Amino acid sequence: MKQWWNWRKRESELEKEIQHHLRMAEADRRDRGASTADAQAAARREFGNVGLTKELARDAWGWRWLQDLFEDVRYGLRVLRQNPGYTSAAILAIALGVGINVGIFSVLNGFALRLLPIPRADQLVSINQVLHGHFSRNVHGEGGLVSYPEYRDYRDHSNVFSQLAAYEPFVDVTLAGVHPEQLLGALATCNFFEVLSEHPAQGRGFTDSDCSTPGGNPVVVVSDAVWRQNLSADPALIGKTILLNHTAYTVVGIMPNGFTGTEVIPTAFWVPITMQKTFDGAGDYLEQDNLSWLTMLGRVHPGVSLKQVHADLSVIAGRIDQRHPGRSTSLLIAPATLFGRPDERALFLPIASVVLAAFGLVLLIACANVSNLLLARATARQKEIALRLAIGAGRWRLMRQLLTESLLLSLAGGAVGSLLALWSFEGIIRFVMSALPREVSTLAINLAPDFRVLAYALGLTLLTGIAFGLIPAWKSSRLDLNTALKNDGMQSGSGAKSGRLLRHTLVGAQVAVCMVLLLAAGLLLRALSYAQTIDPGFDLKHVASVALDLKVQGYDVNRATVFTQTLRQRIAAIPGVTEVAQAEDAPLSHDWSGGEFSIPGKSGDLSIEYNRVTPEFFSVIGVPIVRGRNFGPNDWRGNSVVIVTEATARRFWPGEEPLGKTLREDKREYSVIGVAKDAQVSHLGESDSTYLYFPATPEYSLRAFVLTRFAGDPAVTLKAVRDAVQSLDRDLPADVARLEDYLEVWRTPSRIASGLAGALGGLALLLASIGVYGMVSYSVNRSVREIGIRIALGADSSKIMAHVLRYAMRPVLIGTLVGTGACAAVSWILSSLLFGLNPRDPIAFIAVPVFLLLVALAASYIPARRALRVDPVIALRYE
Amino acid sequence: MAEPYRNRMELLQGTLDLLILQTLLWGPSHGYGVAQAIRANSGDLLQVDAGSLYPALHRLEKQRWISAEWKVSENKQDVKVYKLTAAGRKRLTEERSRWEQITDAISGVLNPAARKES
Repeated sequence: MKQWWNWRKRESELEKEIQHHLRMAEADRRDRGASTADAQAAARREFGNVGLTKELARDAWGWRWLQDLFEDVRYGLRVLRQNPGYTSAAILAIALGVGINVGIFSVLNGFALRLLPIPRADQLVSINQVLHGHFSRNVHGEGGLVSYPEYRDYRDHSNVFSQLAAYEPFVDVTLAGVHPEQLLGALATCNFFEVLSEHPAQGRGFTDSDCSTPGGNPVVVVSDAVWRQNLSADPALIGKTILLNHTAYTVVGIMPNGFTGTEVIPTAFWVPITMQKTFDGAGDYLEQDNLSWLTMLGRVHPGVSLKQVHADLSVIAGRIDQRHPGRSTSLLIAPATLFGRPDERALFLPIASVVLAAFGLVLLIACANVSNLLLARATARQKEIALRLAIGAGRWRLMRQLLTESLLLSLAGGAVGSLLALWSFEGIIRFVMSALPREVSTLAINLAPDFRVLAYALGLTLLTGIAFGLIPAWKSSRLDLNTALKNDGMQSGSGAKSGRLLRHTLVGAQVAVCMVLLLAAGLLLRALSYAQTIDPGFDLKHVASVALDLKVQGYDVNRATVFTQTLRQRIAAIPGVTEVAQAEDAPLSHDWSGGEFSIPGKSGDLSIEYNRVTPEFFSVIGVPIVRGRNFGPNDWRGNSVVIVTEATARRFWPGEEPLGKTLREDKREYSVIGVAKDAQVSHLGESDSTYLYFPATPEYSLRAFVLTRFAGDPAVTLKAVRDAVQSLDRDLPADVARLEDYLEVWRTPSRIASGLAGALGGLALLLASIGVYGMVSYSVNRSVREIGIRIALGADSSKIMAHVLRYAMRPVLIGTLVGTGACAAVSWILSSLLFGLNPRDPIAFIAVPVFLLLVALAASYIPARRALRVDPVIALRYE
Repeated sequence: MAEPYRNRMELLQGTLDLLILQTLLWGPSHGYGVAQAIRANSGDLLQVDAGSLYPALHRLEKQRWISAEWKVSENKQDVKVYKLTAAGRKRLTEERSRWEQITDAISGVLNPAARKES
């Protein structure tokens, strides 16, 4: 600012200085006898070019660039204002392209890059282990988690942390009440809230005494959401008890509004880690040394770097490894984010890259559009540019000015696009989320723009401006002055050779990129329709499923067996119910069991999934037994029998009779008593339907699904089943769902992806069509004169039409060829994500180029026809 | 009257700086005065045009080898007067010795026999 003010002052001083010089020179001449007029003229002549002198003097000050920039901006703004049509078209295209990119980046940022939304989050690090070598490990969750003894080692022997906490995320419990609810909470060490520097809004957090004895302190801190939604915002909640998994917990604190924990899925409550045994139900995790179940989160001392943390902790890891010979541990230390564990990230990164690439391609198409627009404008401005070059502007200076114009355009477009994106993406994401299954329908991502998003927006905007502006600017400055000045602005033909080539290349490139995007979208859409219509091989409709976790509710085996039997009887009595069965896993429910099976005598294990079912299971889900028999009442005690699927039989005993053969798992042997039809009962879209069915012996009643086939109204039946469960045990959560709904969950990711792809593809097609149409019709318009001449000379109009069409379609055709090649590569990559769809799906490959060719056809036909109709005399004068 | 020989020699930027500094050694002056002095002292041979002079003056001012002040002349006009600074004086000495080295070198090439050992 001070510089600028100085500059104005210096300008006026320079002017005064020069005026003084001229006056002195004039005075001298007058002294020597010249007349006033002559003296003035001579003095001026002798001085030389005042303007040039001033410029050179300004150069000496070193502020030239600033002043030039100022001038460029002013000039650019004026040019843009004078051409509102072209300016708004360009800004629109850029806003669209940049906007969606900024929007998607803010989403990705919210997931993976943003630090946790707590004070001084830059001091928080997450620590994960990566195990190498020969080892065995029990894993509850992900392999990178640590055990409690390992956590204590790290905590006690490291010097870099002011506090180190550990917690188990996603602990699934039932909150008892009028309507029992499933909640996801966390088991945490008692310094958890210290580490986060976040404290309850009401009551207190954990103290060290809360973690003193295992099982001794049933206290809980609940989240604001749970307090409001599940506990009716009871103002006197602190001190009262709530029932989690049938154990009473005293509420000691309520977290502030907006605090949702340290995971992407909001945490409902926190319980001291010493209460672990009442959850999970699988035993005492606290003393198990070789179990992965805890995430570690630490607050480092100020000024400690990640490297130091890594070095410090690696020493401890090495010591731990000594207890497990053959194993070596490396550590992953990273700033704590919502999505930070390596397993999550490994899932996330490929998807994020593909998404960013796809959105980037759309931006590229938009850039090509704008570039073409600028090239077209440049031809119209030839005279202006030629004049400036002729007066003496440097080519580089000219290019800078044109680039400044482009940057102004892109800054305007980028600003508009970013604002729109940040304003609307929140709504879009919410809309998408509402389509997700209930468990993940609220995600704690913050989409508000932070510096990373803004930096990305700015960087992308500048890059865009340079990308679409560079070539037209460079081309314009390389004008051949002679031809440009001599011509009346309208050249015969469609412009200089290289100009045409450039425009056509851009059109071709647009077509190619658009093809790739649309092909990808088309393939995904076809995969979606395929997934929607895929026949899983069994009858999903009219089956209700209810999941029962009786172990967690405190049942033992006998009580559970009685419970399930009675429940099945009660459900069978519901009007409209035809069959009731029980199974360890419901089909397509994301729960599955598997094991290694082999044939006695032969080597080689096969990993096969299996289910434990009651005999009614097969008729409930409509999978017939094609050979042999179903399970009978004798199979419940001790008989080791198994029913295989056709695929399994083919696998193990190709060409032989499977009945009576034996399968071995570990030490137990099973004999085959029946063969069931193949069906995709576990994972949708699997090609290998090997599967086994075992009888559901009593111990498997503790955690089971009850499946009901009914013929009546689904809503009524579901309610009746729910009532049946609650009549036996009021505190049992009865989550009854239709089996078809499980299918929905499988389809949801592909549905979201396809929706996204479809929208993106549509956008790309729109942009490309506009670009193709604009460019082709522009080219044809420029040939109007030539057409007029030809007609005046007597050419056949249909021949001209053919020539024009051929000529205009050429770039599109070339683009199509290039695009096809690129598409082949892309579809090969995508084929791994699709349900066995043929990567060379002809429809997508053909439909897109045909569509764009049609667009090009229309774009050339309409102006050509108009041109042919026009009176040649008028056409010749056409400017 | 015959026109005095005007050698509108393109002065190297460095040499012009040298001439200006030397001129200002004799006392402060405004731009026009410097040009006149150079012309007079070179016997009309070196006529510095304004397009070279003023950029040079501003350059030297930026380098702080000369300083400028606005004064009021007898005609009640504002005049920008340049003055040599201490740093400028030092620079002048350096430039002078450099100039002498160059001229010696050139003479050495032109008159090898008359080359003196200095």
